[in-house]
Amino acid sequence: MVELIARISKGSKMDQVYLPKNRSGFEIGSYIVIKPLGTERIIEKPYFYNIKDIEPVKAQMINEIFRIIDKNIQDYENAILTGSFLDRGFNFNDIDILLVSKNKVKINDLINKLEKFTGIKIHIIILDNKTLINGLETDPLYIMMLSKCISKKRLIYKIKYKIDYKLLDLELLKSKLLIDNFDYLDGNEKYYFVRNIIAIYLFIQNKKISKEIVDKKIVKIFNLKGIDDLKKNKLDKVDFLKKYKSFYQQLFNLILKGIKNGSK
Amino acid sequence: MVQNRNKLIDLFIGNAANSIVHKVLEIAIENSEIANKYNKELITSRDLAKKYREKINPKDSPLIERDIEYIKSRIINKIRAELLLRISNGYKNINLNLIDGFVDNFLKEMKIN
Repeated sequence: MVELIARISKGSKMDQVYLPKNRSGFEIGSYIVIKPLGTERIIEKPYFYNIKDIEPVKAQMINEIFRIIDKNIQDYENAILTGSFLDRGFNFNDIDILLVSKNKVKINDLINKLEKFTGIKIHIIILDNKTLINGLETDPLYIMMLSKCISKKRLIYKIKYKIDYKLLDLELLKSKLLIDNFDYLDGNEKYYFVRNIIAIYLFIQNKKISKEIVDKKIVKIFNLKGIDDLKKNKLDKVDFLKKYKSFYQQLFNLILKGIKNGSK
Repeated sequence: MVQNRNKLIDLFIGNAANSIVHKVLEIAIENSEIANKYNKELITSRDLAKKYREKINPKDSPLIERDIEYIKSRIINKIRAELLLRISNGYKNINLNLIDGFVDNFLKEMKIN
């Protein structure tokens, strides 16, 4: 049964209990029972970052995912859900979980249990806190990944970008594939290459990075009607490739300049 | 889409070169651990090279010597060009001696030679 713990707050005419927008169950219009908490156990509430709302069924799954992780993994620091599962709708292939732990964790059994419960492919990355912070400081994809997430525990990171041009060169090289392989890639594959290059660009400019910001930038830079032009492979090849090559080259030159200047 | 053999070989060469450049640079920066943690969505040059290789006849046995030599020399030239561009811009610690071995291994893995 879904439970929520809330505090009664004082109102002018009536006192009230506020319910968070991101919750599983408790739909508008449904009747509920309110009773004093007394000595009942306190249920942990996950922390939502840049998620305005989420489908109740997903919210319920998320609570259960955290519960299964808790039950099966000892001594971990945090569990963070991220990726397309948190986007509106049900257009996702898997559930991405970051398990923050300084210890080696055996996850095969956990993955089986989570997949059995959700019926969805589970992708878990295990990393320690130091690696996570390092990733958030140096890797645009990490920043984008964690710009929208649900975390079991509160995330308290003061992140300042550290530009490592050699690392960015390595990341940018991946997006070069789009040029030669344009005719052989589907829309989503193209989208990930373009997203990668734009995230790198924003990172170098010390700009905020999130999936929404990156998508908007893609539409603007490549003069698209919407991001679906790219995702659904409806691009004007000649026009798009001309812009993409030019953008890639400018960014590559900027990175080479950074390497030349010896910046890290 | 019609995929003629020469075009497929060209695509294979480009992706193989990209994959090996990536490998050499990973060694050069000695910090690729975090770079590879969260890019599962990006299809890799290795995946693409494999996809094209599977369409080049003969699929399950090595190619003829002339093809092997052509592919190998073009991959090496592409890799060298990419790496020398970086070296000329002050990129240190790039080991060009790794190229031949990496190319040989890659071609074996892809059943080219």
